[in-house]
Amino acid sequence: MAEFTCTVVTPETTVLNEKVSSLVLPLFDGQAGVLNNHSSFIGRLTYGELRFTVDGQEKSYYIDGGFAQVDNNVATILTGRVLKIDELDSQKAKEQLEEAFGRKANSPELMELRDREMAQARAQIRLVEKVGT
Amino acid sequence: MANARALDKRRKSVRNIRKITRTMELIATARFKKAMDRAAAATDYTARITQVVSDLAKSGLEVTHPLLESRDKVQNVRVLLLSANRGLCGGYNGSVLRSAFTQLESLGNQGFSITIDASGKRGISGLKFRGFDINDLWIEFDDQPLFEKVEEIANGYLELYVAGKIDRLEVVYTKFVNISRQVPVVETLLPLGELTSEDNRGEASDDEAPSMYEFLPNAESILKEIVPTSFKVKLFKCFLDAAVSEQIARMVAMKAATENASEIIKDLSMTYNRARQSQITGEIMEIIGGVNALKG
Repeated sequence: MAEFTCTVVTPETTVLNEKVSSLVLPLFDGQAGVLNNHSSFIGRLTYGELRFTVDGQEKSYYIDGGFAQVDNNVATILTGRVLKIDELDSQKAKEQLEEAFGRKANSPELMELRDREMAQARAQIRLVEKVGT
Repeated sequence: MANARALDKRRKSVRNIRKITRTMELIATARFKKAMDRAAAATDYTARITQVVSDLAKSGLEVTHPLLESRDKVQNVRVLLLSANRGLCGGYNGSVLRSAFTQLESLGNQGFSITIDASGKRGISGLKFRGFDINDLWIEFDDQPLFEKVEEIANGYLELYVAGKIDRLEVVYTKFVNISRQVPVVETLLPLGELTSEDNRGEASDDEAPSMYEFLPNAESILKEIVPTSFKVKLFKCFLDAAVSEQIARMVAMKAATENASEIIKDLSMTYNRARQSQITGEIMEIIGGVNALKG
């Protein structure tokens, strides 16, 4: 399969800079697949799984939101944090979810903040469970 | 003439100090290189974010966001001071503290209510010594600040700013200009002001072609997300700059200290040799005097 470059950048380091043959991004409104010669787009990412295929092998990372830019067969993913799936702590995520549930959110801003934490915790729990089964 | 043995003792202790300063210089050099690499990675990230913003702007979207606009009435100002945990780094802590004091004074004169946060033991003790109250303090940031930790702090500030508890955030830190130049600066991070930094604006205006990008889900949503992100990265960059500057300052200070120690050892050696020589001469004279007395 035709390959294209995928770069994952966090503020601390460049995590990945490889030729991949396919890429699945956790976009804000659902997953999006990217193959070679995809048209240019800038997308907002959410918490979730970043999946890509290198040499026929599928690999995945957990990413903490951010942005994706695809242009001219180069996919750049800008995110705050990248973790391997086995580095995720589902216990901690569950605690975060519980805490978010119990919190008062009496303004739109606080509500958004709470939703964000919930989405983050849920994505982490979901990923851990997916790998576990 | 000084006692030869006392001189030798002093020379030995100076030698030991030189060993320590030399080692500290080497450690600072290694740390500086690591910190520099991280700063380069952060610059890469910022450049890409800026690129996305300029693409957004080219798509004809009006770049407005509550974090970008300054408030009409500024009442509560938060000042964050970034300093080192340890001393022995020349004028690093002193100069950043000095610029913090002038800034705090001028803010106080303008009648704002000021809250101070500080990172680094030296800065904390310096502020306390001058009688300032510190609201939040951190001492866990060393030569490699973690983005996770900085993000937590940034989220805290964003929350306070959105909730209207602070109207302005100023960061006092040492900006890394290049290897031979680091300057203490006061930067206003909230409100953010312009998103595209000045160096990149020239490039953006060069090609006026409309953006070829499709925005998913839409440009507004991306803008809403990218503004807090650039704030976080900017704050992270401040921490990184401070860390790099600290290592450079320590490197320079320790290099000077090592050179000074070598100089002192040279001087002491000379005095010691002279003292030893005069001691020997004195002893010979005594013996000759004694022999002459016996002859007579």
